[in-house]
This record gives sequence, C-alpha cells and structure tokens, in this order.
Amino acid sequence: MTTYDAIIIGAGHNGLTCAAYLGRAGLRVLVLERRDILGGVSVTEELFPGFHIDTCAHRIHGIHPSVIHDLSLDNHGLEIQHPSSCVYAPNLDGPSLTLWSDQARTTAGIQAFSSHDAQQWPTFVKFMASATRFLRTLYDHPPIHAPRPQIADAGTILRLARRFKNLTKSDRIALLRLLPASIADVLDERFETAILKGALSAAGIIGLMQGPMAAGTAYTFLHNHVYSPTGAIRATLFVRGGIGGLATALANTAKRFGASVRTGADVQTIIVKDNRAVGVALTDGEEINARYVVSNADPRHTLLTILDPANLTIGDIRKTKEVKFRGAVAKVNLALAERPEFVGASNEEHLHGTITIAPSINYLEHAYDDAKYGRRSSELFLDITIPTLTDASIAPNGKHILCATVQYVPYHLKNNSWNDETRDTLGDQVVETLSRYAPNVPNAILHRQTITPLDLEKDFGLSEGNINHGELTLDQLYFMRPIAGWSRYESPVRNLYLCGAGTHGGGGVTCAAGYNASRVLIKHAKSA
Amino acid sequence: MKKQPFDAIVIGGGHNGLVNAAYLARAGLRVVVLERRHVLGGAAVTEEIYPGFKYSVCSYVVSLLRPEIIRELALARHGLEILPLESTFTPLPNGDHLVRWADHDLTRREIYRHSPRDAEAYDDFGQLLYRLAVAVKPLMSMIPPDVTSLHPRDLVGTARLSKYFHGIESSTFYALHKLMTMSSADYLDEWFETEALKATMAASGIIGTFLGPRSPGTAYVLLHHYLGEIDGAFRAWGFARGGTGAVSEAIAAAARSYGASIRTEAPVAQIMTHGNKVTGVALADGEEIHASIVVSALDPKRTFINLIEPNVLPSEFRAAIDNFKIRGSSGKVNLALDTLPEFTCLPGFGPHLRGAISISPSVDYLEQAYDDAKYGAFSRRPYMDILIPSLIDPTMAPPGKHVMSLFVQYAPSDLAGGWNVQKREQFGDNVIDTLSEYAPNIKDIILHRQVLTPWDLERDFGMTEGNIFHGELTLNQLFFLRPTSSWADYTTPVRNLFQCGSGTHPGGGITGAPGRLAAQRILGSRKA
Repeated sequence: MTTYDAIIIGAGHNGLTCAAYLGRAGLRVLVLERRDILGGVSVTEELFPGFHIDTCAHRIHGIHPSVIHDLSLDNHGLEIQHPSSCVYAPNLDGPSLTLWSDQARTTAGIQAFSSHDAQQWPTFVKFMASATRFLRTLYDHPPIHAPRPQIADAGTILRLARRFKNLTKSDRIALLRLLPASIADVLDERFETAILKGALSAAGIIGLMQGPMAAGTAYTFLHNHVYSPTGAIRATLFVRGGIGGLATALANTAKRFGASVRTGADVQTIIVKDNRAVGVALTDGEEINARYVVSNADPRHTLLTILDPANLTIGDIRKTKEVKFRGAVAKVNLALAERPEFVGASNEEHLHGTITIAPSINYLEHAYDDAKYGRRSSELFLDITIPTLTDASIAPNGKHILCATVQYVPYHLKNNSWNDETRDTLGDQVVETLSRYAPNVPNAILHRQTITPLDLEKDFGLSEGNINHGELTLDQLYFMRPIAGWSRYESPVRNLYLCGAGTHGGGGVTCAAGYNASRVLIKHAKSA
Repeated sequence: MKKQPFDAIVIGGGHNGLVNAAYLARAGLRVVVLERRHVLGGAAVTEEIYPGFKYSVCSYVVSLLRPEIIRELALARHGLEILPLESTFTPLPNGDHLVRWADHDLTRREIYRHSPRDAEAYDDFGQLLYRLAVAVKPLMSMIPPDVTSLHPRDLVGTARLSKYFHGIESSTFYALHKLMTMSSADYLDEWFETEALKATMAASGIIGTFLGPRSPGTAYVLLHHYLGEIDGAFRAWGFARGGTGAVSEAIAAAARSYGASIRTEAPVAQIMTHGNKVTGVALADGEEIHASIVVSALDPKRTFINLIEPNVLPSEFRAAIDNFKIRGSSGKVNLALDTLPEFTCLPGFGPHLRGAISISPSVDYLEQAYDDAKYGAFSRRPYMDILIPSLIDPTMAPPGKHVMSLFVQYAPSDLAGGWNVQKREQFGDNVIDTLSEYAPNIKDIILHRQVLTPWDLERDFGMTEGNIFHGELTLNQLFFLRPTSSWADYTTPVRNLFQCGSGTHPGGGITGAPGRLAAQRILGSRKA
C-alpha cells in the first residue's frame, strides 16, 4: 500500500497550487476531487454541445505572480488574457462609462462626466497601487501571530514595516483610514460621478452580504485588487479556453512534480488517531493514509462535515459555527445565438472585460436593503462577462456565452426557499434585467443555466453558497481567518491543514491561500 | 509689553471645555473659558424652557463620566450627585414587554420568560464583555500615538501601544477584534435569540451614529455599559440631580475654585495666529483676548473651518478635516407632562417607568428606521430612548407633573429638501404618534413640547450637522484617527492651539475624558 506524505481534499485552484508546491518540495502528494472534473469553482464545463462555460468563477483579477513563475504555469498551458477594457458600466439614464486598463484612456472617458473626477483619477490609481503593494506583502505570507508575534514572524514584520515606511505619510494615513471604511465613504470623498462610483463600489461588495455603505467594504475593494496588474482598477482577466485551464495547468505541474490527481474520489471522512489526522476514507470505503491531510474545502465543511466534529472541543466547534458565510450571489450562464448588444457601447471593445450593472452606490445599497430582510433584490446588481468576445474557441462559430454573477440573492430566504420554481423566477428576473441593458439577449438565448446559492452549496460544496469560503469581512480577515487562533493554515486537529479560500489570502482566484498553506506545511514537514 | 492676563483660553463652556479648564487651572495656569451662550454646559445643559419644568435639553444621561475626574476635581463637593438609572423597559407591539432591572436575578427571570437559552447566555455574555471592558479601559485614558510617524518621539507611543496589545490574553484580543469590527446585530446573534433583547442592546450601538444595527463597527459600543460597571454602575451611568446641566455646573464650580474665569455670552469669532503660533482669540464684538495657549472644545469642523483663517493650516490637514464625517442622525424631543404616560403592555405607574424606556422592538425595526435615514428621510418609526427624569429627581417638574426626554433616531442632518419649521413639527408629530402606539394617553397629557432636529442642534448648540458626538464614532474615526491621524494627541498644526472636545479621543458622551487628556497633553508639553 502506498502511503502519501500529503492528501489534498479538493482539486480547486488552491488545492492544486498547494499540491504542486508540496510535490516540488519532494513530498508524495495525492489530490482527491469529488467531481469528475478538476477546478472546484474554477471550472469550465461543456454544458451544452460546443459551449465551454465557466460555470462558477468566470474571470480573475490577477494570480499570485510567484505561483505562475515558480510552477512555470505558462509552460503548462496557462494563457492569461488581458482585455483592454476592465469594466463597462452601461447607463439607461445617460452616457455609459468604461474603465480601461490604459489609465489615460480612462481619464479621458471620465472627463466627459466630470473634470473634477478626471483630475482625481490618476491620484486615486496611484494611491491604490501603493495600498495594494502594501497588502501584497501581507498576502504573500501567513498571518503573524497576533497579539504576540513570534520569532517566525520577524521576517514578515520587517517586510511590512519596510513597506509601510516606503509609503508617503499621507498614503499611510489614507491607508489606515481606508482599511475600516465603507467603499461608499472612500469614493464619496474623491468622486462625484454616480456611475463611476457605482461601477467602482461593486468591487467592494461582490460575494458579500453587505451594502457599499458598510464599514469594511473598502477593504474588500482592496482585496479584489491585490494581485491585479498595477494601475488597473477592476481589471478583468480571462484564462484562454476557460478558467478551467488554470486548474489543468496547475494539475499538469503537480503531476510533473510527482503528485497523483484522482477525480471521482469523494472523501467521506478524515481519519484521526490520537488527535492526529492520519488519512482519509472515501465514500466507497477505500482508506488512504498520509502524514498530512490538507483540505481545500471551506472551514465549516472541513471541520464539521468531513471531519467528525467529535474530534473537536466544544469551543472549537462553536468558533467554527460562528464563521459567517451567508451567500449573497447566484450565477446565470447563457448560451447565445448572437452577440449581445449593450446600450451605449459604441463598439465591441467596451464589452471585453466585465459589464457591471451598478449605476450608482444607492442602486447597490437598495439592492442590499432587500437582501438583509431575506429577499432577493428587486433591482439586481450584475457583473457580466462575454468571454467569447476575446476567445472564440469556447463556443460554436458565431455563438456566444454570457456569464453573470447575480447579487443580492440571499441563501437564507425569508418566507421562501430555493427550489426549481424560485430558481426559474430568479433566472427570469436576470434575463429581464439584461433585456433592459442588452435588448437582443432574451431572443438570442439557446440555453440557460441558473445556479442559486443553494446550488452553489450542493454542487460546489460551498457552505451557504459563499463563494469566498466565508465572508470577507473585517472580523474574518488575516489572523481571524478562518478562525482566530487557527489562522496559519493549521487546524485544531494535528496534521490537518486548511488551504482553501477560507484561509488568509483566500477569496477570489489568486492561488495565494494555497501558496501560503504549502509553505507552512513544507516547513513543518521538513522539521518533523 | 503688557503682561497677558491669561495663560490659556478655552473656547466653549461645554463639559469637556470646563474639565480642561479645571485641570489647567488646578496646575496653576490662569485660564479663561469663553462660552457663546448665556448658560454653561454646551450640550450638557439644563434649561427651564417652560415655566416650572426643567429639561436636560440635549444630553440626558451621564455616561461614563470618568471616576478619576469626579475624584480629582472633587465634583461631589461641588454639588454633583448622580442618581442611578434603574432599568430598561422595552414595550412591544404585541402587548408583551421586556424589562432589564438593576437586580440581576429579576432580569434573568424576565429574560427566561422570553427564552431560557438567552437567560443562560446573558450571564456568559456579561462575563465576556466585562473582561473585554477591563482590557479596553487603559485605552480610554491613553493619549493616542501617531502610528503613521516614524519619528523616534512618536515611535515611543507606538511601542507603548504594541506593549499594551502584547499584554492582552490572546482569547481576549480575538474577542475584542470581533467586537470592534462586527455589527451589533451579528454579534448579538451569536448569543441571543430574543428580538427585543437583541434590539434593545443593539440600540446602544447606534446612538448618535449614522449606522444601522447591521452595520459593521456598531458592536463595540456594547462595551460602554460594561465599562460603566467597572467604574461602579451608580457613578458612571445615571442621571444627575438637577439634569445634565448640573454636571456642567459642578465642573464649572471646580474650575472656579482653582481660579479659572468663566465668561458666558462671549462668542469667539476667530482664533488669532501669528506665523504658525496661536496668539489669542477675537470675540464677535471685536474684543481681543491674548494668551499663549488656546484650547478649543468645539467640534473639529467649527474649530478649523469656521474659526481659523484657511491659509494658516496645511492643505492636507484641511482636507482631512473636510473629510471628517460628522453627519447628524438624531433629534431630541422634550415634553412637559400633566401626568405620567401609561403603557398598554404594562399598565400602571410602576418602577418600569423609572429607568430608560426603549422603543426598539426588533432588530429589523431599527434597521428599517436606518433605511429611511440612509436615503434622506427621518424614520417613519424611529428608535427612541426615553426617560422621565422627574420620576428620578422630583425637582425637575412641579409637584405631580413630569418631564419626559425622548432621544430620537434617525433624523438625518441632510434631510432631503432640507429642514425647516414645518418639517421639525412633522418630525415631532411622528415621534408622538410612534409613542402613542405604546402609550395611548400621551397625546392628552402634553403641556409643552420642544423639538430639536439636527438643524436646531447645529444652530442652537453649535454642533456641526447636529452631530451629538462632534464627529461620527466609526472605526476610521476612533483613537489615533480621531479627528485625524498625526493630530489625535490633542495638538493641532498651529502651535499652542489644542483641541479638547468630543471630536478627539475617546469621543462623545459625558465622559470628560477628552478634556482631561487634552489637559495632560498641554501640561506635558509645557514641562518639556
């Protein structure tokens, strides 16, 4: 019987990143994926013949550069596309706005709305670049031991201190004020154009059961820019062939480093002996041993479902249950017979990035107002991509794919539940919303897939349908993520590690969590 | 040169200005306090607006008045007497009620009636919050360091702060982090299930702030109650005999006993500077008073925008003050009553009327009240914190008659269409209508009504935008960010001009802490 150094539960992008690094460090690794396809939420599926659709995550904002470099993902088939358009914000009541990856072009566009805002834009972009550079240092390392740092944290602290020192004094103050602020306050201080503020604030609330006026959404905004190309705000990047290409490239690298990757292998439980994880048992009864078990699943699913909670103290169970998930998004995928025509877009290039239906901060806040009382927003916020515009290979000739992240769609409905009927109603509402911004869409629909928060939980294993494996709120970040005291990828059970988006660095397709987790585990494995 | 009659001028005879003056005078400085109105106290004032009835016009409870101030200034000798507030009574629309009494066992029994689980949790919750309050207390009396400065002098302060955190138990630190960053609704959801209990506790987290109970950053105010407990409940939480004006009078008496001069009807029109140094003030009637130290107890906007020539201040500082958030969110209604109100859910004039009466039946009720305000309307059904001071101190009203104080939220300073006399009365009517749903006899027993909107609070009491805390108590406006980083230690960019109002750490409420800490800072810099 083969024994492995490490078993990774779940072949999402973080699990595969972790596997590849462990393999590279000489560990014998086995990756077990429940589904028949790799990628977790970063998955491309041929839903309808010829249409290769990113069913869950459908764009990226940037991947940890070390991961691409260290694992030479470029040589394993990863090709990242950088469309010139970051965000297109169509407007029914006036001119529409595009944010380009080219700063000067964006500034010129904003000029048409407000010269004050156009003047502010370069300053804002520059400040964002400084702020994300600082955060990147934070994200590139496991959280420090708070409140009492240890020797092992010295390097991280020094690097952070140096980064902080390199900021100008006014940037330091601005950063301190920004971290606990609401994205609405941050933008109101700088800009006056409603559609600009709407399009930007959307990046502060994606996946969150909070409105743009909530403290902490400025941080979420920063979080979504940490690995973005410098200078681009709300950069939208695609993986050629579909986001599943990232998982394929990671899996190929991992295999080259000796890792085994098995699909259709559903882990039933984590085997624990003497409070130490020693392997896993699959649903078909097979047991596999390993020195370490690493879970790419979210903390609640890992610790309370896969692991028998009897292995935890009551205190740890309580803390795990207290992690807030509250999914807020659904996903709608459309196969289209023709190219969608969006209002106000003079040419197709505007539509190459994300198309955001977020005309103002108040629009988003109103959308949240519904959700906090357990209702789906009467006016939905949509983040749409049409990947076929930049990659014709993923759909039949002349046909198109439209993916939409839909918010706010609460997992917890008041006086209702998610079922076939409510799913269809949601799908209809999304199409109705789309029809106002892209009138030709309804008649062009060949196939429609609607994924409710409950579907995200059932099909993708995301607790309460939370796409970030736990809310990205101030109380669940850094040394508080996923659980205070267990923020360094370890868990209350010895030799059981976490590497998913629920840990520090996680949320969004960046691979940072898997990267950090692998480094902690490699250190432990070598010193054991 | 003629010798100046005063060493220090304190602008504003509110309680913080008076505390500051008392400490400076006690240290031997010749101090003059200049108050614009004919009466001392600022927002802590008692006035006989209607013959025979004394209103604590604005601030109505003594919250967290620092025990060291009571002791050091011998306030008891100067007439301060604080009477305990016995209870919190929450009438419910369904005919039920919740009362939390001063007697712990009674409270437990009452909560048990609503939920045995909550009764159990109430004790654990109290113990945790008490522990957190003990941990946080030193911060209340710490002059905030400038953590954005790398100057050795400032690093000492930063080091002191790190040392403070280093000394905190990990579990306490994590619990504190959660408390500081979560919404009061989420935080209480982790403990309790009774809506009325959660809402009444959460309400303390939204008082004076432009946030709802579901807004992150509202949980930490839950600590205030427990901070009071450390100080000894009867000292810190209570009602001053003679109304809140009596607190100001006692402090003024203390200041005078140390030789301070106090002038009323002496409105300051300008702070005079020479070069980068303060030289004195000019009154509205043209009189100039010179002193080497000037301390402003006004809010930061008043001080730095209204009283100082703009070119004296660095542009970055001015921008920071411009961005300082000071939206008013509350109003006040004072009533003279012919007899006591009678509540449908708890008829009679029992002890439940002797404490606070809280109109906060559910978290959704409070959140909906906030929703109205977010979009520029006053709450259709507001949150109200009601007191009947004449039940605690009979001298407040003629025999058999009563005064009632209603703190009302939300009333946005930025009302759509603006405030005017008519809107003020509509607001007042709405308050009475809301109360009459619980106490139907209220409309028949009103002898006189005084309604204060944020508009009135600004005009009559000089609080910008009617914000009762001189600036919102949000996470990014606390401690070393209050009112702005680098100038949170009571100093200002103008030499020898200091600030001592609620716009500085630790903020609003009748605590006296900003006034005392500012005095420490001023006296410290004189020694140096």
